[in-house]
Amino acid sequence: MVTFVSSTAQPRPRGVGRLNPAARSTLISFLAVVVFLALWQVAPILGWVNGRFTSQPTLVVQAAIEVFTSDNFLFHARISLSEFALGFGLALIISVPFGALLGTSQIARELISPPLMALYIAPTLILLPIMVIWLGIGMASKVAVVFLGAIFPIVVNTTAGMREADQRLIRAARSFGATRMDVFRHVLIPGALPSVLAGIRLAVGRGVLGVVVGELYVSQAGIGHQLVVYGSAMRVDRLLVYALVVSVFGYALTQVVRLLESRVRDWRSE
Amino acid sequence: MGQIQISNLTIEYKLLKGEGTFKAVDNVSLTVEAGELVTVVGSSGCGKSTLLLAIAGLVETSRGSINVAGKPITGPGPDRAVVFQESSLLPWKTVLGNVRFALEMRRWSAGDLNERAMRAIQMVGLESFADYHPHQLSGGMRQRVNIARALAVDPAVLLMDEPFGALDAQTREVMGEELLRIWERDRKTALFVTHDIDEAVLLADKVVVMGRNPGHIKDVMKIDLPRPRRGDVADSAQFIEYRRRLRSHLASDMAAMHLVREAV
Repeated sequence: MVTFVSSTAQPRPRGVGRLNPAARSTLISFLAVVVFLALWQVAPILGWVNGRFTSQPTLVVQAAIEVFTSDNFLFHARISLSEFALGFGLALIISVPFGALLGTSQIARELISPPLMALYIAPTLILLPIMVIWLGIGMASKVAVVFLGAIFPIVVNTTAGMREADQRLIRAARSFGATRMDVFRHVLIPGALPSVLAGIRLAVGRGVLGVVVGELYVSQAGIGHQLVVYGSAMRVDRLLVYALVVSVFGYALTQVVRLLESRVRDWRSE
Repeated sequence: MGQIQISNLTIEYKLLKGEGTFKAVDNVSLTVEAGELVTVVGSSGCGKSTLLLAIAGLVETSRGSINVAGKPITGPGPDRAVVFQESSLLPWKTVLGNVRFALEMRRWSAGDLNERAMRAIQMVGLESFADYHPHQLSGGMRQRVNIARALAVDPAVLLMDEPFGALDAQTREVMGEELLRIWERDRKTALFVTHDIDEAVLLADKVVVMGRNPGHIKDVMKIDLPRPRRGDVADSAQFIEYRRRLRSHLASDMAAMHLVREAV
């Protein structure tokens, strides 16, 4: 191997230090995961932990194959997904216009701000038992819980986004003859969009939580229902598969909203 | 056509906290003839911007009247356009989109909006930046867009509220000359608010000097410098004399302010 030595040359680093920083951090993360999985795999075999409680990576992979190929996974996933989609969709349809009203009307704000903030801060899961009493143990009560979980972050953030509107932009628009409706459509709405999306991102997490906890509480089907079934059967491997499914879903949806946010925020870098 | 006539104008704000009102403009009378470029100077808080916004119809007046082309002002109107200080462009719209927006708000129907907007953008020399967003432009370029937006709607009266106030000295000088070049094409009635004495003299047919507590007109000085003007007019003896007189006016205002402070 030929090395060129100049007066400014640093001594060549050894080991992983030779890689560029990005590659090095990727390698270190990768190794950490490998080490973790390996420990997880051998720990029950060596008797360090009880395998009944910890399961093993290979068993989890096996369980995943079983879950995805049989076990009515699609049926349960569809139930949970429908509950989420319905509750979240309803929340979206209602919360954005509602937030816009609160953002633009002082009277509306004074009227309902305190109870709204109380509901925003309190975990809406508190209302779960009431929803079950009102709507039964079927899908409707979960739809309601998702709806309640999702609506408040969106309302509150939409309201804030409208209220933080740049007064200079409103004044400029008015000087060119913009009506109240024009200002709303062309200044307030686009200006509030990043806040609305931030609210939606928060709402995704709350909605997913609502579905799962709602089904855990009482249900006949759905991902949460499966968690109850395998929980009482002590099937740690399958529980981990479902946990993974739920977190991947929530993460993916959050990332989609984040992507939209970053696109909308481009112009905000001013 | 675009004469501005202000008589005995008083503007008072209700104070947000506590009782009472704040008098921003006190009994001001001023006439800007059609086709005249008038600058207003004064230290901050002298009510010069408030006066301009009142002419724009964006600020409520308490007493007195403002007439533009013989008609009293009741709100913003198509006969007037405002060039604001920085950051009054919609950040999510492009340069072209922002100029178009003004035309759309004016319900402009004659001809193609894009074409008209582009012509205004060309006038300020930004045609190759039409698809840029405001955050991609320098402060000076943003102000050019602001000017293009006001020119596009072809107002009888152009109102400029410290449009170059946030720019560095060099850019400011360039923009001043550029503004003169554009203004000299069709000589619209224009009111230009600034705190920069040189800028005030360079641009103006007459300079209005305002004082504070409450905002009032101290003096109106006619500027007899030949047009078209270039930046080098600032070296002429006449210009220097105008500047000296304006400075002493404003200095006495500042001194008064300090006396008040010390008394308090």
